[in-house]
Amino acid sequence: MNLKSERIKIGNGINLNLVKTDKFKSNLLSFYFLRPLTKEEVTKNALLPLVLKRGTDEYKTNLEIQKKLEENYGADLSVAINKRGEKHVLRFTVETVNGDYVGNKEYISDVFNLLKSIIFNPLLEDGYFKKSYVDQEKENLKRRIESRINDKRSYALDRCIEEMCKNERFSIYPLGNIEDLPGIDESILYNHYNNIIKTSPIEIFFVGDYDDKMVDHMKEMANIEREETITIPREQIMAGSKTKNMVYDDLDVNQGKLVLGYRTGIPYEDRLYNGLLIGSDILGGGPNSKLFKNVREKESLAYYVTSTIFKYKSIMLVDGGIEFANFEKTIDIIKEQIEEIQKGNFTTDDIEISKKSLISSTKSIKDSIFLISEYFFSQILSNDNRSLEEIIEDIDRVTKEEIVEAMSKLTLDTIYFMRNKKAMNIN
Amino acid sequence: MDIKIYESEKLKEKLFYKKMESGLKVFFIPKEGYTKQYAIFATDYGSIDNVFVPIGEKDPLEVPEGIAHFLEHKLFESPDNNLFDKFSKLGANVNAYTNFNQTAYLFSSTDNFYESLSLLIEFVQNPYITDENVEKEKGIIAQEINMYMDNPGWRVYFNCLKAMYNEHPVKIDIAGTIESIQKINKELLYKCYNTFYNPTNMVLFVIGDLSFDEILKVVAKSQKNNYDKVEEIKRIFPIEDKKINTQLIEENMMTSAPIFYIGFKDLDTGFKGEKLIKKDLVTNIILDALFGSSSTFYNDLYEEGLINSSFGGFYTGKESYGHSLIVGESKEPKKVYERILRLIKEPSEKLLLEEDFNRIKNKAIGEFLMGLNSIEFIGNNFIDLYFSDFLLIDYLTILESIEYKDIIERFNKHFTEENVVLSIINPLE
Repeated sequence: MNLKSERIKIGNGINLNLVKTDKFKSNLLSFYFLRPLTKEEVTKNALLPLVLKRGTDEYKTNLEIQKKLEENYGADLSVAINKRGEKHVLRFTVETVNGDYVGNKEYISDVFNLLKSIIFNPLLEDGYFKKSYVDQEKENLKRRIESRINDKRSYALDRCIEEMCKNERFSIYPLGNIEDLPGIDESILYNHYNNIIKTSPIEIFFVGDYDDKMVDHMKEMANIEREETITIPREQIMAGSKTKNMVYDDLDVNQGKLVLGYRTGIPYEDRLYNGLLIGSDILGGGPNSKLFKNVREKESLAYYVTSTIFKYKSIMLVDGGIEFANFEKTIDIIKEQIEEIQKGNFTTDDIEISKKSLISSTKSIKDSIFLISEYFFSQILSNDNRSLEEIIEDIDRVTKEEIVEAMSKLTLDTIYFMRNKKAMNIN
Repeated sequence: MDIKIYESEKLKEKLFYKKMESGLKVFFIPKEGYTKQYAIFATDYGSIDNVFVPIGEKDPLEVPEGIAHFLEHKLFESPDNNLFDKFSKLGANVNAYTNFNQTAYLFSSTDNFYESLSLLIEFVQNPYITDENVEKEKGIIAQEINMYMDNPGWRVYFNCLKAMYNEHPVKIDIAGTIESIQKINKELLYKCYNTFYNPTNMVLFVIGDLSFDEILKVVAKSQKNNYDKVEEIKRIFPIEDKKINTQLIEENMMTSAPIFYIGFKDLDTGFKGEKLIKKDLVTNIILDALFGSSSTFYNDLYEEGLINSSFGGFYTGKESYGHSLIVGESKEPKKVYERILRLIKEPSEKLLLEEDFNRIKNKAIGEFLMGLNSIEFIGNNFIDLYFSDFLLIDYLTILESIEYKDIIERFNKHFTEENVVLSIINPLE
């Protein structure tokens, strides 16, 4: 199966992307709203989907919405707030069982109407959002932000990014800031909502089986009159690092979490980007990687240790969970292994293995209805018109020289360590 | 060849089965048009099987906590130390997991499937465990245990199991403790291996756009045949009192807000197969109807700010144990607990309306069907159900057969004040 997406402009800054396939037992419809990632609006953006999900003009309460979803064979409604580089993305999705499996082809239009109602016809009270919903969701969002600390690994990664990109928008946490919440009420949020509907680029995706009638319905869902939409600037890429950071968080934990933040200086449009991806995979991708072999298998220092490229922001993070006392030893090994790659001390096998791994996960996109829509969406974000096959060819073409050249651009910017003073007897 | 084919018109899926001479059972679901392939090679051996009679011996042996999981790590060793390389060179992604009931070795691939399958069977059937590599592993697993110790969600879960169970090994952490894994050695690992990795105790499941004939050829060629025949492995479980162990376990650790698990211990256990799966489905429908996001209870407590969207309930049950868990985050977990106790005292016909039941059942059907998009979902659930003597392909039929009266009957038996426990993790002062 060759994946193709048909892109239809249906309004000012609104596109409908259709991917036809009958491979799955479900259909998926997603609305993506694009915003710049800024301190001013991040918290409002994050709060908005939570409030919209609470009730609509037609379905006034969560209870009514949930019952409607369940009646429709457990249609799955999800909202997400993410950052893609320095873009803030709000996603609203419904996934429904393909009507053939439940002997009901028509019900999907009911679910479309529900999604439309959630996004475009919110429940209003005195001309604004319902106050009690806004207040409750402010409290829920506050608790969600506070709960960042519960997943220590991702918290450590976030903290490293925050410190590393302190003066860049990439440091902004996508769920916003607790300090902003008291300043947001039902009218401020409602005005912001109207602004979002009026000015955000909107990408709509449908993956599954469809006919003309369904396409008309989808077009009608986002039939909004509006003027020009905003343009969202591309991320700033910093090459090299001006100041070297060493950051410690002292928390009551059993395991230390180490994160090393590197600047790559290689934008995703660059000819060296694929070389960087492969280099990072050789360093800390799968169980064949240099870090897995040396930090875990040889020295038994960690259960996990990996390396990840952040595409839109051109940074690389290496992270591992270790004993507090092994802090310096682990850093030394990581630095040493990066130097090895920079010196070209890796084999053709290493390259082949990483290529195969990247190619295999690229191919696997075709087997997931959700990943298909995410893939086409990210192609739009990065202005990339290549097909999956072309992406795979480009990965396959990367040479050893390109990997060495790409990895030689890495500069260490920030070392973050989550530790426990009590357990270490430091005062 | 004696190949059996099961077909489900409703699911539009087929299941192929053959039992090899070695006793190994091989299952296959073809998935036309899929790019990925997935294989799982699993043994009916998990963390709860910690007292048993080793093969060729007479007396029961109690092994250190965490040994099944330790063994899973160790099977990735080979004399030339390059098992991961071999899979990686084929482009296959190999992994494994151990839970209470089974240990599974798996890979997914987009190319070179049959070579990878052969490799999978060979490495699981050819252990290479040395004193040296056992010692090395202790450091790695200690870090894995430490990682879980810092995970409030994991801790609150295991404290809940400890509160419910007096003796049953389901209360023991799957990876063991840093102390218990020190007692593990090469000899003990081989005893476990020889007992539980006999082909008669194992199953191989394959899914993808593949050919069953080819799969069988690879299995026949790769598998080892010189196994001792075993009749049945003797596993010894302590007698578990119907009563709960303790009503409440509270602990403090670094977490943003209190989190809780409320557990109802299942007293109706001791069976497998269709009866078990039906009980599982019935109980999950009840929990969804009572505590799911379309329930009055959920919406009332949400409005009051007592719970957030992490709240929900689910049931899990096997032959020797079972429990319903109602979980979430709350400023006042004890209040939520009180409200649940009050709720279950109401008459069942008032609590569980037939229309709610029908709706939730519809949802369960839809969710299962959507799950079938994922070959990993199919594979992992297939294995889990298989070891409970049930075939995934019959799942929808059982689900559809559930009636309203099943719900009422089960509710009255299972949700009582005698078998309920509460586990809370509070933030540090």
